[in-house]
Amino acid sequence: MIRDEKRVKKTIQNHINIHSIWLAMVALTILSYALGKFGFSGIVSVLVLLLTAVVKGTLIIRDFMELRDVSLLWRVIMYGWLWGATLAIFIIYLVSNK
Amino acid sequence: MNEPITLQEPKLLPGDLAIWFFIFMELLVFAIAFIAYAVTRAQNVALFNEFQLTLNKESGAVNTLLLITSSYFVVRAVHAIKLDRVKACITNLNIALGFGAGFLLLKSLEYYDKFSAGITLSTNTFYMFYLSLTMFHFLHVILGMIILFAIVIKAKRGHYSANNHYGVETGASYWHMVDLVWIILFPLVYIIR
Repeated sequence: MIRDEKRVKKTIQNHINIHSIWLAMVALTILSYALGKFGFSGIVSVLVLLLTAVVKGTLIIRDFMELRDVSLLWRVIMYGWLWGATLAIFIIYLVSNK
Repeated sequence: MNEPITLQEPKLLPGDLAIWFFIFMELLVFAIAFIAYAVTRAQNVALFNEFQLTLNKESGAVNTLLLITSSYFVVRAVHAIKLDRVKACITNLNIALGFGAGFLLLKSLEYYDKFSAGITLSTNTFYMFYLSLTMFHFLHVILGMIILFAIVIKAKRGHYSANNHYGVETGASYWHMVDLVWIILFPLVYIIR
């Protein structure tokens, strides 16, 4: 059955990618930790931290949750949450940093 | 023979639709908590910066790695069941549960360290937010592990296969949400200053 073959091929393809995605998230976590450990602070550091969180969040939503091809509505909901939360944190930080 | 060109139908959400409403509700609650933390911090920058230094960054970072790795094994479990490999699915879920338990253990040690230093929810505003936010997430990790454990039990009884794996995807989606929340919580509470 074509549909099953397609699904198997898709699953195997996703499986091959998942290891590198895991490694990327480990590396980004170490970057965030290093920023904290070496005492970085201020707007640029916060921007890097939040962008790192957005990249990791995107990988989780797209590749761990496998929402890559779902309806536009749910992609907007999930990515909208990710961007909305991080943007709000950044704007509040900017205001407090004045 | 070429396949007819058809409009790409959007893929169905993995697992049950109901879990996605539950996931989104939880995400909203956490987003409100994050914003409340950020606003309160904006009003007490010196206090938050001072007491943030007392947090164990290593514990926070290792816990992030544990959750990410646990989620990675949950993805492997979903892939395994889609390929009808039940045993591999169970093994990957058990490894994921191991990493989840590691998170709970490390977090408990962190709390023990704070409580034995006499710190409580009423010590100051920073600790109130740090303890309530991370404890709220802690409870979600526990619930997520209960869900994964229930899936392991059902998988052992032969409930899941390549043609019947929505339950595995449902549990996996919830677990990834717990990871997704921590991905923002960790820099917000432990690092941003």
